Amino acid sequence: MELLGRWVSRQFTTRVIVMMPVAIAINIVLGASVQQGLKLPIYLDSIGTILVGVLAGPLPGALTGILSNLIWGYLIPAPIGSSTIAPFAITAGVIGLLAGLWGQLGLFRPRHGRVFSVAGAVVAVVLVGALALYTYSRAYASPEQFAANTFNSSDAFDQSRIFFALVMIAYFTLVAWAIFLRREVGAVYAIGAGLVTGIAAAVVSAPISAGVLGGVTGGSTDAIVAAFRTGGDSLYQSTLKQGLLSDPMDKMITSFVVFFIIGSLSRRFVARFPNGEKAIEGAPEHEPEPAPESAS
Amino acid sequence: MAIELSTVRYRYAGASVLALQSIDLRLEPGQVVGVVGANEAGKSTLCLVASGFAPRVVGGRLEGSAQIDGVETTALRPHELAQRCGLLFQNAATQLSTTTASVFEEVSFGPCNLGLPVPEVVERAWWALRAVGIEELAARDPARLSGGEGQLVALASVLALRPRYLILDEPTSELDPAGTRLVADALVRVVAETGAGILIVEHKTDVLERIADRVVVLERGAVALAGEAAPTLADPRLAELGVEPPARVRLERGVRASGVPWSDRLAEAVR
Amino acid sequence: MTEPGTAATRLPDYVVRRPAGFYRSANPGTKLAVAAVEVVAAFLLPGWLGPAVVLAAVLATAAIARRLRGLATIGLAASPLIGSILLINLFLLPGASDPIARLGPLAPTWSGLWFGFETTARLLAFSSAVALVYLTTAVDDLLADLSRRGLGRRATFVVGAAVQMVPLTMARAGEILDAQRARGMDTEGRFWRRARGVLPLAAPVVFGALTEVEERSMALEARAFSAPGRQTLLRIPADSPADRALRWAALLALAALIGLRVSGRLG
Repeated sequence: MELLGRWVSRQFTTRVIVMMPVAIAINIVLGASVQQGLKLPIYLDSIGTILVGVLAGPLPGALTGILSNLIWGYLIPAPIGSSTIAPFAITAGVIGLLAGLWGQLGLFRPRHGRVFSVAGAVVAVVLVGALALYTYSRAYASPEQFAANTFNSSDAFDQSRIFFALVMIAYFTLVAWAIFLRREVGAVYAIGAGLVTGIAAAVVSAPISAGVLGGVTGGSTDAIVAAFRTGGDSLYQSTLKQGLLSDPMDKMITSFVVFFIIGSLSRRFVARFPNGEKAIEGAPEHEPEPAPESAS
Repeated sequence: MAIELSTVRYRYAGASVLALQSIDLRLEPGQVVGVVGANEAGKSTLCLVASGFAPRVVGGRLEGSAQIDGVETTALRPHELAQRCGLLFQNAATQLSTTTASVFEEVSFGPCNLGLPVPEVVERAWWALRAVGIEELAARDPARLSGGEGQLVALASVLALRPRYLILDEPTSELDPAGTRLVADALVRVVAETGAGILIVEHKTDVLERIADRVVVLERGAVALAGEAAPTLADPRLAELGVEPPARVRLERGVRASGVPWSDRLAEAVR
Repeated sequence: MTEPGTAATRLPDYVVRRPAGFYRSANPGTKLAVAAVEVVAAFLLPGWLGPAVVLAAVLATAAIARRLRGLATIGLAASPLIGSILLINLFLLPGASDPIARLGPLAPTWSGLWFGFETTARLLAFSSAVALVYLTTAVDDLLADLSRRGLGRRATFVVGAAVQMVPLTMARAGEILDAQRARGMDTEGRFWRRARGVLPLAAPVVFGALTEVEERSMALEARAFSAPGRQTLLRIPADSPADRALRWAALLALAALIGLRVSGRLG
């Protein structure tokens, strides 16, 4: 019990406490801008959540996500405020939790093109691909949990395969750019983590979206839901499919952005966070013997 | 009763070079010590080390002895350090707690954090506002203050913890001349009212000429020059150490160099 | 250090700030409890009648508390969403076989309309229930009340600071967006161009905010933020016996609703 208490308080240092409102504000502002200004069918409202999760740990990450949604939904006045965001606080919590796990595993550490890392990256890509396919097949074969309806299996299957292929193409394009242009092998792990997070987010969001909002959020992703519904999907299935199209792509992009951000921050800054050491390239420097050397 | 740094060497976490090479410094209550030096000379690090925030809050490795009133800073917890030595930074906006709706509540933030009873919190808040001279700002919204006013509020917020020493890291660097004057006046007033010892890092040597008793010049993490304010600021080696002397000194040098006799009346006119 | 002279030791009025008016002066915790019951009722009561009753209750409270206009604004902001829900369900409810009319390939259905109506009612009910709390309570009061009930200083800080920081960050993002537009970034137009515009917007906003974290956390430490023990509260929102009674009633209503639903009585 005491260990648990210490594990909890280790993650909530003053620096983390200060970072959380900043991360929450980033989430809300970017999410609202994308939703209303740029009008892209992705959300981009989890950059802060994943950043906090990776640097500070699962609990701060989850809390950042949950609070972002609650504050966005209930404490910020319209037009930025939007009460349809709040029920997805659960999803946001899951995203933050997972980000903490990835940070703990060091998946967001910059790794410059060493051979072993490249081989590891290839293995990671294959594994993530396999996991994605497996999850995909399970999700799409899941029995209708809501109203039974005309489920046209072959049509829906083909449609979904196309959209899923789009997601994987986006993923591999980003990976190729990272590896070949920037020699940034670590990006692969981060993007892979984003893919897994995205799938989890979609699976968690679908019942919320279907149950609370009838599958409609007022955002540009509604068009995608409608498209799936004309194909004859149940409410749950269409929201899941929309989620599986938007969420993985959104989280992959977000994770990549977070990876890039962490890589661009100074080592000194990152090191002071609870999980900061795991996000810095190379082993932590050992202090050399104190000697009166002059700074060059 | 002093802040005493003895042969202090300091290295930031994850750094391979020393930020402070070997510093000896003494700050007594009622004294104003100015610190100048080129960029990267270690001035900000000195502020963190002298206040105990390094290594206690920011990590890193300290060698030698840094003591506040006879207690090693490494033995004190951050909130204990805050009550002995106040620390202020350049940017007024980032020092706001962003959780308060009035300057009064902002200044009360520190005492409230200590869990003091409400009457004592109120008394300290008014006392701090008066010591800095900003009672009329008490009802204002902290987010809508000018740069200079913001720094004064930050000063009062930190003073409310009744520290014996204040350390300021370039408090006027983001302020216009009016704001700078505001802060300099307030510091003079604070020393008079509270008897605090002040360590102030400043590029604007005119300010130091006005308020400092002693001046220390840092170069590459070590003390290059130290002494009483006036002679040190007039020292010819200042320029090569990356410090611009005060306007009065430059004027005097220029006047003398052109062969015009210099008199103290000229000095008074420039002040 | 000199001794303080005779000081004004009274807490200024602008700090004390007691809200006035029906429902507005109620304890924040009470308002939260009431909203919780209303939200749960909106979801657990069947059909559209349940949510409609909740909505009526909320509107009535808002009217007496003179906050009807605020609710109307929120309703207006939600109208595209409501329109979406109605339209999509009207035309696309799968399995619906009772068309109202046939307009070429499109066939709006009664079940679709009904389902859309139900969903809309539920959405309006729970949104307005929560919005009412927001409209009748200042964030400071809410946080102060929660602090009194034991919410730690860290959580209070996070929520309070986040709320204040959103408009600040928004303003900064707005400036950056304008600057980007002036440099030719596309905010309309084709998908790929818009996607490329994301990073140049996100990066400055994020980096600007992050570089402040170090200094902000040091400023907090310099104000004894990590001191142990309970934070002193300068203001404690009022709590009356009527508030307590209302909270108990809300708790009982909540239990009743859940119990009825679980036992199947509510269908």
